[in-house]
Amino acid sequence: MTETPLLELRGLGGGYPPISVFRNIDLSVGMHESVGFFGPNGHGKTTLLKTVAGLIDPWEGDIIFAGNRLNAEGRMRARTSKNLNYDLFRKRRIRAETVVNAGLIYVMQGNLLFPEMTVEEVLDIAPLAAKGRTGITAMRQRVDDLFPRLQERRGSKIRYLSGGERQMVSIAVGLLALPQMLILDEPTLGLSPKLRIELAQAIRKIRDSRVPLIIVDQNIEFLTGLVDRLFLFDHGSITREIDSGSMPKHAEIMTMMFGEAN
Amino acid sequence: MISLDTFLFILASGVLLGGLYALMATGLAIVWTTLGVFNFAHGTFVALGAYIAWQVTQSVNGGMGFLLAAALSVIMMYGIGYLLHFVLIKPFERNANLVLLAVITTLAAASIIENHILIGWGPRDKQIVPPVSGAISAFGASINIYDIVVLAVALFSLLAMALFLRRTSIGRAMRAAAQNREVAELMGLNVSRLYAMTIGLSAATAALAGVFAGSLRFINPTFGTDPLMKALIIVILGGVARFTSPIYAAFIVGIAESVSVYFLGLYWAPAVLFAMMITVLLIKPEGLFGHRSRTL
Amino acid sequence: MKYAPPFHRTNGFMPVLLALLALVVIPLFFSGTYARHTLILVFIYAILASNWDISLGLGGVFNFAHIAFFALGLYSYGIMAKIMGIDPWIALLLAPVLAIVFAAMLAIPVLRLEGIYVILMTFAAAQLMLQIVVSQSEYTGGTSGMVLLPRLTIGEYRLSNDGRIGYYYLALLLLAASTAFLYQLERSALGRAIKALRDNKYYAIARGVPEGRIRLLTLCASAIFPGLAGGFYGAYLRVASPDVFGLGFLTITLSILLLGGISTLWGSLIAAFVITILTQVLGDYGSWRNIIIAVLIIAVVVVYPGGLHAALQELWAAENRVRTNLMAAFRRHFGASARAAAMKAPDRLVRTTHGNVSVCDTGQGDKVIVCIHGNSSCKEVFRHQFAAFRRDYRIIAFDLPGHGASPNGNPERDYNVEAYAEIVRDLVDALELGRPIVFGWSLGGYIGLEYAAAGNPISALAICGTSPINKFPDDMARGYIATPHMELAGKRFHSPHEKSQYATHTVGMKKGQEPLLWQAVWRTDGQAREQAFSKLKTINWPRQTRLMRDGTLPFAMINGPNDPFINHEYCRSFHYGNIWGGAAQNVGNAGHAPFLEDHKTFNSMFREFLQTLP
Repeated sequence: MTETPLLELRGLGGGYPPISVFRNIDLSVGMHESVGFFGPNGHGKTTLLKTVAGLIDPWEGDIIFAGNRLNAEGRMRARTSKNLNYDLFRKRRIRAETVVNAGLIYVMQGNLLFPEMTVEEVLDIAPLAAKGRTGITAMRQRVDDLFPRLQERRGSKIRYLSGGERQMVSIAVGLLALPQMLILDEPTLGLSPKLRIELAQAIRKIRDSRVPLIIVDQNIEFLTGLVDRLFLFDHGSITREIDSGSMPKHAEIMTMMFGEAN
Repeated sequence: MISLDTFLFILASGVLLGGLYALMATGLAIVWTTLGVFNFAHGTFVALGAYIAWQVTQSVNGGMGFLLAAALSVIMMYGIGYLLHFVLIKPFERNANLVLLAVITTLAAASIIENHILIGWGPRDKQIVPPVSGAISAFGASINIYDIVVLAVALFSLLAMALFLRRTSIGRAMRAAAQNREVAELMGLNVSRLYAMTIGLSAATAALAGVFAGSLRFINPTFGTDPLMKALIIVILGGVARFTSPIYAAFIVGIAESVSVYFLGLYWAPAVLFAMMITVLLIKPEGLFGHRSRTL
Repeated sequence: MKYAPPFHRTNGFMPVLLALLALVVIPLFFSGTYARHTLILVFIYAILASNWDISLGLGGVFNFAHIAFFALGLYSYGIMAKIMGIDPWIALLLAPVLAIVFAAMLAIPVLRLEGIYVILMTFAAAQLMLQIVVSQSEYTGGTSGMVLLPRLTIGEYRLSNDGRIGYYYLALLLLAASTAFLYQLERSALGRAIKALRDNKYYAIARGVPEGRIRLLTLCASAIFPGLAGGFYGAYLRVASPDVFGLGFLTITLSILLLGGISTLWGSLIAAFVITILTQVLGDYGSWRNIIIAVLIIAVVVVYPGGLHAALQELWAAENRVRTNLMAAFRRHFGASARAAAMKAPDRLVRTTHGNVSVCDTGQGDKVIVCIHGNSSCKEVFRHQFAAFRRDYRIIAFDLPGHGASPNGNPERDYNVEAYAEIVRDLVDALELGRPIVFGWSLGGYIGLEYAAAGNPISALAICGTSPINKFPDDMARGYIATPHMELAGKRFHSPHEKSQYATHTVGMKKGQEPLLWQAVWRTDGQAREQAFSKLKTINWPRQTRLMRDGTLPFAMINGPNDPFINHEYCRSFHYGNIWGGAAQNVGNAGHAPFLEDHKTFNSMFREFLQTLP
């Protein structure tokens, strides 16, 4: 790749102190490409993405987005005491606000959102992060086109929506922040097949509109059809990178990850 | 049987109490629903608000003085509440034991405020002079005009607060932060500031309640204990499912209190209210008006 | 399987004994009533706070009616002894009854509620009790309380005579009884059921822990000694006032508990001294006293939520680190000759990415054997192999960081199996060992497996006293026989008794026979034990299993048939791609360390394995 990458992770490591969850992640994603992550549950994908999104402090390494480093410089000082309240003494090394303002938007897994607010209200506060930028109205129009279903349910509280509809609202909220890059964490988790197809189509449309995506999913066929590159993630590190030209089948990936079944 | 005017008197004093209690309880409820912690210093917010107002009325007399006192008290308590968030709750917002730790820090804060009041203003009873006097009579019972003013202002401020939370974008952001902290952060909202604003708002309503309560009865350093207990009873009785749940419950408690004071005497009234609350907890732990969830 | 040594064999025994002796002796030197009064208050607060921990810490039930147990004990004593005219001693003994009944009643709503609701409900219940007490003024004296309660006497002797010495010893007796009760409770079946409910309620219920009964017992057990202390308080001060229900009393007790540390018995006892003495010292400052204490509470909770007990633990850990490191430095200089005599080769420090390690190297031969010792041991454990194989092989052993003659490492970075494997890799690089044969014992077996599985140069691997693990922690339970001593392997601080137990079981020898190994157990950095054990879960186990199943690497497993830890059945049934002799081998008549206990048989078997290699 010759173009300058949009997102670059250099030697990123992190976790929930004192437990290290992922280490030494090197990754760069270009301006116009979409990448996927695949790997077993509980191996640190979501923790990595939450770190990139600024919810969790990275321990070491850098997160560089559009040429700017989003995190504070240097390594996080190790805990020397088990009981000292480090939240008080250690400044946050990254803030969700900085990441969002830079245009890197993370759409969380599970999509609980704000259960007592209506779809309308949620979509109204969603552009707060992008305040002052142009294009919010146009994006609102696009969101309405992408998810016509949300139009019908604009007056309903989120708690009464189905899982798929909530996921749509989550993605819509992410889009309304006018992202330079969108990170989707297991968007099709636990959805009915019909909704899954509907959502997958919407995600393809988002990709085709040249919003770069980082997408984590358990559905390998969906991923391989969507992304340019696929990373296999195992035990807290990227174990293999696969290019779109040679996208393997589900069974092949299973073999790569877990070895021959015995 | 009781006569009509006695009945009306009991009802009127109950409704007035209900209005005051609604102010106190709503402040407690919004902190609970937003931060998930129970603020044991809420009662001392009421007391401190009353003392600040009293201090102002000492230098500025009359109706103007009262208005100024109320305004200053509300603004100062908003600031104090805002700052206290960063001392009492923010340092361990990521700690798993947040609920218990917040209980101890707010208890300690209550002790600090109460003792500062004792040092600053002394143990003697004080009273804020009400700005309006006189009474009107209706159906044979006489009702103080000031009581009506208090009730009206209390209800109006609650309405204003509800509108603020529903209609303004900052109010909606506060509700968003209350309902899902992580997603609110991911939307670029400054959640710490929104939380601090919530506590500030809660302290401001407490101050308003304190100004009114301090003009209806005597204030002393332990003045905050009773409002805390009442607010606690109301919040549990009504639940916190909606903004209005504690308000309804406040009127139920106010009327129940004035009824039991009349028929059972001053000493038994608190016992009746606590018994009521425990009964509700046993039968419907989520409160009379709601489901078990955090909302704002 | 839980390791529960009797109290006199734990590390806590001596400090507690000394503290008790000091408290018995102190009043003989301080005859002033003020000092004794302060200490009596300390004892009462200590009882209140430490018993509160049954519900709050052990049970996870946020019971804010705890102080009401004390108040009810106080009022029961007052009413029984003064109004009903019961003998004060009997009234004292009966004082907890009402508190226990109240606790039992509390259990009903607590069962239905969770989290913050429990706090509010119990808080309200205590207030309800207060209202009832105040409203019954003909018995309780209403808001002004009861005065001139009967005092305790033995015959004609008043306990308040001779500077209240009688009350002092009675309070101390109560505290000692309460502490013994708490200590036993925590270790009893009931205590474990209470903890199980706290940690995972639904799992505990599913495994047959009766929730209702346990919650009831939790609350009742936490009411006994506060009730007694309340009765004692009434007999001692001779007043009962409704103030004891108030927020002030609650705040002080809660702050003792938090300053001491939740879920620790000793923490709240120590904190009771600190806080009570502080309140007495600051007594002259009135309101400022309360403010200072409140600020202190906030500061502790905000800055160091673990409390005093955790601080002591950390100090102890620091002392342990410094002491073990000094021991290692001392031995590096003064024990070198003894070690060289055992190994017939000197040792030296070699720099690795995880700090310096002490390496013993025979230095000759093309074929290299690297020996990796186990948890809390040292390289000298392999001295018989050095003697037997040095002629044909270059044989190397090293001390893991925090073990033997190596200095201590960074607990977070250096004390785990992955780091140990990296050390092996660094040694192979630094000493130019090529493709060595690796022999690992116990924990060292996992290090060898990890080293090989990570793709480092190796020509053969032999492990001993190590069970292969595929799925952690499930296979841990299958691969090992759960004995109380397994717990010791991951325990940070060993008491002297535990150290000798551990040494005897791992090496199978008595103290005099193996001075170097015996010293090694003493020298080992406690954090190395704890960290290596707690980080087992981060190891990539399937990678190790794949290595054994692939069978491309010559591999041998040689165990002692009497090994008290590993499950031979499991080791045999595990599927290996290419294991020497077709299965896990048993050697001679040895235990966990056959290469030491029955070294002749082991060495000849190991040589057979080596001879199969090209």
